[in-house]
Amino acid sequence: MVHLQLGHLGSAAVFLAFGLALYATVVGALGAVRRDARLQTSARLATLATFLVVATAVAVMEAALVSNDFSVQYVANHSRIASPLWVKVVTLWAALQGSILLWGFLLTAYTALLALTAPLSPLRPWALSVLSAIQVFFLGVVAFIANPFHTLPNPPADGPGPNALLQNHWMMAVHPVLMYLGFVGLSVPFAYAMAALITRRPGNEWMVQTRRWALTGWGFLGAAIVAGGWWSYEVLGWGGYWAWDPVENVSFMPWLTATAFIHGVQVQERRRMLKSWNVMLIALTFCLSILGTFLTRSGVISSVHAFADGPVGPAFLGFFVVVTLFAFGLIALRWDQVRDRAELDAVVSREGGFLAGNILFLALAFTVLIGTLFPLLVEAVSGQRVTVGPPFFDQVTLPLWMLVFLLMGIGPLLPWRRADGSSLRRNLAWLAGGFLVAGGGALLLGMREIYPTLTVALAGYNLVSLGLLLGQALVPRLRLTSRSPWSVLWSYAHESRRRVGSMIAHLAIVIVALGVAFSSGYRVDQQVRIDFNHSATFQGYTLTPVDRFLDRSASRISSGAVVQVSRGGRQIATLRPRTNVFGSSQQPVSKPAVMYTFTHDLYLNLDNTIGPDTTYVVLRAIYSPLVSWIWFGGLLFVVGVATSLMPARRRLDERRTVTAGARAAGGAAGAAGDSPEEAAEG
Amino acid sequence: MRRLITVVAVVAVLGGLFLYGLFRGPPNRDVPSQLVGKPAPDFTLPLYTRFQSRFGSSFSLSAHKGTPLVINFWASWCNPCFEEAPLLESAYRQYRSQGVLFVGVQTQDRGQYDAGRSFISRFGFDFPVGMDNDSSIGVNYALFGVPETFFVDRQGIVVYKQVGPLTQAVLAREIEAIVK
Repeated sequence: MVHLQLGHLGSAAVFLAFGLALYATVVGALGAVRRDARLQTSARLATLATFLVVATAVAVMEAALVSNDFSVQYVANHSRIASPLWVKVVTLWAALQGSILLWGFLLTAYTALLALTAPLSPLRPWALSVLSAIQVFFLGVVAFIANPFHTLPNPPADGPGPNALLQNHWMMAVHPVLMYLGFVGLSVPFAYAMAALITRRPGNEWMVQTRRWALTGWGFLGAAIVAGGWWSYEVLGWGGYWAWDPVENVSFMPWLTATAFIHGVQVQERRRMLKSWNVMLIALTFCLSILGTFLTRSGVISSVHAFADGPVGPAFLGFFVVVTLFAFGLIALRWDQVRDRAELDAVVSREGGFLAGNILFLALAFTVLIGTLFPLLVEAVSGQRVTVGPPFFDQVTLPLWMLVFLLMGIGPLLPWRRADGSSLRRNLAWLAGGFLVAGGGALLLGMREIYPTLTVALAGYNLVSLGLLLGQALVPRLRLTSRSPWSVLWSYAHESRRRVGSMIAHLAIVIVALGVAFSSGYRVDQQVRIDFNHSATFQGYTLTPVDRFLDRSASRISSGAVVQVSRGGRQIATLRPRTNVFGSSQQPVSKPAVMYTFTHDLYLNLDNTIGPDTTYVVLRAIYSPLVSWIWFGGLLFVVGVATSLMPARRRLDERRTVTAGARAAGGAAGAAGDSPEEAAEG
Repeated sequence: MRRLITVVAVVAVLGGLFLYGLFRGPPNRDVPSQLVGKPAPDFTLPLYTRFQSRFGSSFSLSAHKGTPLVINFWASWCNPCFEEAPLLESAYRQYRSQGVLFVGVQTQDRGQYDAGRSFISRFGFDFPVGMDNDSSIGVNYALFGVPETFFVDRQGIVVYKQVGPLTQAVLAREIEAIVK
């Protein structure tokens, strides 16, 4: 009797899903060409079926992982009986094959959701067909090139367990999922943009229908980048969060182009300009996300992140070439339709600001791309091996970032079409005041380094800008009501969610920027050797290693030191930096201990191995000012994006009258930043 | 049409570059060193007392012209240094008859003379070991970290540099290269 194994079931599901995706692509396209509603419906139902079948495959893999079924090769290679349950569950994306399965799963989930919720339009069948075609690629890779469901005739009794770095911190379970949610979310507007080009309808329709998807994908990608930085900070032991490593860069580039897209979309909504820009930006974003996967999964660019050189490199390269040719070829063919006809009325206007910002974001993305590909280029041309490190990226991107900051403050205050001279001058005076006060304060407090000081000044400038925006929206409302300012603010936040969401996101960026500027400009990094029960001082803290410990559990051994931290004779924290060894891997991974505070972090990483007879510890002690602001800013960014995404609630009649009155009053006052966004909302 | 050709050309160039990257063979992950192929920088290293009767109070590189040298940088807090220390000592005992001399340089370890002494007695080093208290020798040799080992031939030229702990195979291969 043939014994049916989980692996067979999973493989069958993956092959079936591949077939369904192929069906949805071809039949969907055919239905769109022939305008045949039955074919279109059939393709739409096929996307739902694909999702269900891939969900089954994922469930099968999870069942195999949780039940320690080592007859499945992926489980045998990457799981281990002694691992805790959560580690087994997340082992699905601990290695290449599983993470591509997860990517495929999320893609089918988004496509199915879109198939269920997207309004009927001439774009929908093509968009679903494009998404199904992307599924064909991912599911094809899962089925034919990196199939995690291969079965072993003689299964081992236990496996080695997942990568030690994955088990070392729970964030590693979250970060990849956020990243894929970002990439997949951004493929929805890409698919709609392609549908718009195919159907020669490059108007606003595709953008309006995918605004939420684009924002969601962009928000997830941003969250993934911050989460990755925090993970790196928490586990890698050097006290940093960003090293301009290729793996980081390739996730950053699509975020930059998506940022440009998110802003460009608003110009197209309002002024029907930047049509070609927006199509190109979303195509670029999607192509960069595929390029990034290719670069990091193929070993083409050497990186400190040890990804195995898998078999998927050529497949991703092929897909990148096909996607780029398709997307940009289509744009070239439809150029006459996407070309802008409207002209910029004035450079100093909201749309001018958006355009300048877009150029900066694109320049940033291009810089990062050049820096990432340069070593490969040099090697191809001259055979020399070079490395492009943080100095290049810092020097080139910092001035661009400062300009982005400058625009971020003034842009939202500029009116559409043309700025009116007197209100522009008044706003500029306020902004300059914020810049000078904050910058002067920084100088008085002894800051001398150029970029951190400039960042502080620009942060002041941006805070003033946010205050002006809020004031211009609230003051006319307050004049018309007897309600308290808080309740007016609250109802404004409910009414203009896009506006308020963008203010929160911009505030988040200010906070992150301050965190980055201080933690990189004023960090102190020192190696100290301390005997047990002796003390050393570091940045005003007294560090006393009082004990050593060794924890042994079935899945890991960790050894470390108990370090008491005191300041001014008062003990304030006990930190336990340690070294973990997971399972059968002999590779020890460090787990630094961090004391988080509002103004600075104290970060201790163990540089020696603590054994039973060790009499001293070697600590890498790092003092990082404001570093926790980056994580807080990342959270706030997510809150901002979520605020923008929430549907505007229909308000009570009484409130609606007040708002209408306020809007009229605001219009009469002619405030430069008076926001007509509410009209665009909903 | 012209735009389409531009797109195809750009994609072709990028695709070609990545194809090259994909098929260029395994990447070489060696840390390059400016010192390889150049004369080893001279230094004077104050030696621990136990070596002074045989090697003098300090070891000076320029005084050992014509001798193949293995210069090993280590620190008392460095675990890989503990790992490679027995290999180093056994290789020294095996090859010293062929005229090769080893030198141990304790570096990035300011003031840790006691720890250094216990390290030396633990592994019974018979070759000269001294303290680079201000790590200046380490700086001149552009250390990436500890341990690092430099192989210097009879002409005083650095032939090979090992970053990280040594293996038996590397030691044997590189010593053969400098004694010949």
